[in-house]
Amino acid sequence: MNPQPLRFKQVLVLSTAMLSFISFWKAASVVLCDMGSSAYYAGGIAMNAFGPAFPWYVLAVMVFSGLMLMVYVESCAMFVRGGVYKVVNEAMGHSMAKISVSALMFDYVVTGPISAVSAGLYVSSLLYNVLPLMHVNWHVPHKLFAVLFAVTVTIYFWRENIKGVEESSDKNFKIMGFVTLVGAVLIVWALATVYIRGFKLPPFELKFSKESLGWMVNFPYLQTIGLVGVFMAFGHSILALSGLETLAQVYREIEDPKIKNLKKAAFAVFLFSIIFTGGLTFLSSSIIPPDLIGGKYLDNLLSGLALELEGPYWARLILQSFVVVSGSLMLVGAVNTSLVGSNGVLNRVAEDGILHDWFRHLHKKYGTTYRMINIVAMIQIIVIILSAGNIYLLGEAYAFGVLWSLVFKTISMIILRFKPDFPRDWMFPVNMKIGKVQFPVGMCVTFIFLITASVINLFTKRVATISGITFTIVFFAIFQISENMNRKKARLYAQDDDSEEKLNMRKEADIATILPELDKQRKILVPVRNPNNLVHLKQVLETADDETTDIIVLAAKISKGIQLEGETGEIAPEDKDLFTSVVLLAEKYGKTVKPMLVFSNDPFYSIAQVAQAAGAEEIVMGVSGAVGAEVQLERLAMAWGMLKKMETVRPVTAKVVWEGRQLSYKLS
Amino acid sequence: MIRQEEVPLAAILQSDYVFFLKGKATKEEVVKLLTDGLYPQVKDFVTSQVLYSKITEVEKLNNVLETGFYIPHAKLAEIDRFYTALAIIPNGFFDPKSGITVKAALLLLTPNRPIFFQQHLNMLSKLSRLFQASFIESLAAMTNGAQVREAVRKAE
Repeated sequence: MNPQPLRFKQVLVLSTAMLSFISFWKAASVVLCDMGSSAYYAGGIAMNAFGPAFPWYVLAVMVFSGLMLMVYVESCAMFVRGGVYKVVNEAMGHSMAKISVSALMFDYVVTGPISAVSAGLYVSSLLYNVLPLMHVNWHVPHKLFAVLFAVTVTIYFWRENIKGVEESSDKNFKIMGFVTLVGAVLIVWALATVYIRGFKLPPFELKFSKESLGWMVNFPYLQTIGLVGVFMAFGHSILALSGLETLAQVYREIEDPKIKNLKKAAFAVFLFSIIFTGGLTFLSSSIIPPDLIGGKYLDNLLSGLALELEGPYWARLILQSFVVVSGSLMLVGAVNTSLVGSNGVLNRVAEDGILHDWFRHLHKKYGTTYRMINIVAMIQIIVIILSAGNIYLLGEAYAFGVLWSLVFKTISMIILRFKPDFPRDWMFPVNMKIGKVQFPVGMCVTFIFLITASVINLFTKRVATISGITFTIVFFAIFQISENMNRKKARLYAQDDDSEEKLNMRKEADIATILPELDKQRKILVPVRNPNNLVHLKQVLETADDETTDIIVLAAKISKGIQLEGETGEIAPEDKDLFTSVVLLAEKYGKTVKPMLVFSNDPFYSIAQVAQAAGAEEIVMGVSGAVGAEVQLERLAMAWGMLKKMETVRPVTAKVVWEGRQLSYKLS
Repeated sequence: MIRQEEVPLAAILQSDYVFFLKGKATKEEVVKLLTDGLYPQVKDFVTSQVLYSKITEVEKLNNVLETGFYIPHAKLAEIDRFYTALAIIPNGFFDPKSGITVKAALLLLTPNRPIFFQQHLNMLSKLSRLFQASFIESLAAMTNGAQVREAVRKAE
């Protein structure tokens, strides 16, 4: 018999967004596209609430954001996907997790409208100045324009999300680059203006409007307590803190070394927030006359700053145009983030069985969870229309979701300090060691501050309290009813540690077509079979340099004889489990892997063939309980030799790794 | 080119230990033939029962190669060098597990010491590289062990 040369019937290459990782700069830009956008409206809203002292409080909130960023860094150091839902679920259980997610959903649902309306108001203010110069005699109805603009933007991103267009960190990075450049010009110009005109610190005195006192008007004695007033003002400025949850979502994509890069990203966010949001708000209050801040520029503060600087009008108008374009890009980006984020959170809870299958129905053409996206987008459009372009009203409502999701998150992080099963690579500072527990003194102080502001906000922000609580109750009820219905169907989903990864398999006829994608200097091949035996992959991820090494993760699916012809090449549930574990592990270490699934009648042949074709320097296998390490190496040696075309293939190091031990030999 | 850590096959494959098996045979019969044939080389170190049981134990985990070559092998603590015996089966035997017809089988005994394992892997790799289908066909056409040994030496 002259045996036929073996061939892979099909090579499936896994492609998921989570297999490539981003720098801390890009991660920071994703967070800032959401968090930094509040710079465009937070100052005006705070001014409207409690008067000219607003820069102090916006700055205080920005300083406070540093503390909250540290809470998030600690949570991410414990869980790769350490968002509010995960953390609260681990610390306080399922019901509290549902409540916190409901509050978070309220945050997302209002983030879109407030950002879109704010962008519309900025564009409208620019048109107000530019159209007369172009001899266009059209008076732009300011708020109506903002509503129409916001609805259009929301519909655009609604459609994009239905189509499944992923958020791009590259795009965010470019937007943030542009925003930073415009912001830098604005700051330098504003400093020059201050130098010419002189600088006056904003007053500390708080002048609450009747509207901003909310139900506190009924407690006049409380208003006389200075600290209460401080917390009230702080609560009115806290909306500048939105976007922190994005840090938890983007952490899984941060490259190795993950914690170090996360800390750098958090610091970059903090620094930008202080300088951009805090600094520009301060400069605005110094340069723009108070009556204009409270009037003409209330809903487009940074436009006002550009227009009130020293210099010729045409130059200021050009600067305003740049401020509006950069701001609009950032703000509409936040609309997209809110849709992507809310869809992500709903999918996450749906996977835990607390959202009915109806919500998880996939779009026929695009495969997205379109019903979830439809619901969020429709609520956002309703909110935009109901707001009638009133940014203050939206700002009032906004703080509820931000604050309460942070409250649940922080208290959960404190509780988790007392649970020994959750090791972490980094801790929020100021701790006191009591027995085995690091008592979180610093985090407790932060929590006290946060809960005080949140409770006071319940009284001062009527719109937020009523709409936020109503929304939270409705969403909680949906979760509760869904969960009960799922239970009745006896289809409770497994409570997994992490969400199920969306895996896309690309079919290739030959390994050769994949080789050009492996362009790094070194290549390590890691065969995998059992999702519970990935010690060897872990070792490779711990030691390999992502910059210089391609890590090829290969699962060889055995198909013998005629069965091979009938293979559909579809990914089976067990393969999905395997690759999900691979992706989660790669994510944990922030290193890129190239997962492949091949169909072959001999796994060792597949390993040798891929290793030779790719020019791998190492093959790192996990130990097989069935045959043992030495037999694995023997089989691989035989396959290696059978395939080797004399001296054209260089030797490879073959390793078998298991807990605490490894065998390492050369195959020549 | 022979690497330093490689043991030349021609050096350990003696002409007297190349067997031509005419007619039909089973995998077990071939393993038995090779074991019995090789035994005189190691009779001072191990009994035939121990040798046979050791080889059959390892063979439960072994597979024939797609090229129609089969390498039964075992590691023995009692020996301090490689021993081999080769069977040429012109009509081949059918291996039901893999669906492959095997026309050449080489029994390899390796000292069971860590220092030899690298050489053992090199030997397995070299054997599977050397005994490609066309080479096996050429061996099947030969008539004696000396010719086979010479062909192996040249191919190495």
